[in-house]
Amino acid sequence: MYQNQYSQQQRMSQPPAVLSTKDNAYLTDALSWELLAVKKAHSFASQCSDQQVKHQLEQLCQLHQQHYHTLLNHLSNNQQDYENQTYPHFHN
Amino acid sequence: MNSNRSSYGSYQQQRYGGSTSPTMKNPSAHFEKGTEFNDRDRLNDMLATEKWLTDGFNVFVRETSHQELYNDVLHVLTETHHACRDVFNLMFEKGWYSLHPEQPSHIADHYQKFSGYESQFPSHGTGSYQYLSGVGQHPRDY
Repeated sequence: MYQNQYSQQQRMSQPPAVLSTKDNAYLTDALSWELLAVKKAHSFASQCSDQQVKHQLEQLCQLHQQHYHTLLNHLSNNQQDYENQTYPHFHN
Repeated sequence: MNSNRSSYGSYQQQRYGGSTSPTMKNPSAHFEKGTEFNDRDRLNDMLATEKWLTDGFNVFVRETSHQELYNDVLHVLTETHHACRDVFNLMFEKGWYSLHPEQPSHIADHYQKFSGYESQFPSHGTGSYQYLSGVGQHPRDY
């Protein structure tokens, strides 16, 4: 376990840049929320007759796509670290 | 109340439901009023989605482990709040949302009451409480 591996090292002032099991669970939840929001905003925008409402919904679609990428990035970074065995460096 | 923004339309002294309270509302923009899902419904549904997302991300950000994840999730939460606000503003602009101003005398009563409660502050009279009257001077203003 990580605990044994790193317990001899320097005391940490903050958690290291490693995803916890809870982080992973929340990230996957949040990704599915964002995906649903993207689809809903896109679908609604295509059905709108009011151009102002349509534009607002299209912007929301873009925003949630950005959020999706921001969140997904945390899963891909962690994967890389894990494969390279480079984490965690527990100094400041 | 927005008296300088005439484009935001009528601060109507309407009466509603027998009350004397006026409403702050724009004339309603056109939308289909049948049984079908209309533009107003779509915007309302999306507002509900954004509100629901802020609840979810509020819990998420509180549970994050490391700082980088915390920063990103807090940023997503903030932007989702802004999205909520944008949708709310558009609904107001479309006249699909009305507000009722509180009577000034009721506000004045509460101001007086809670001004009096300031005497209960532990630091009252010592002058050490520097954040009381400052605008935008929060200790950690991110």
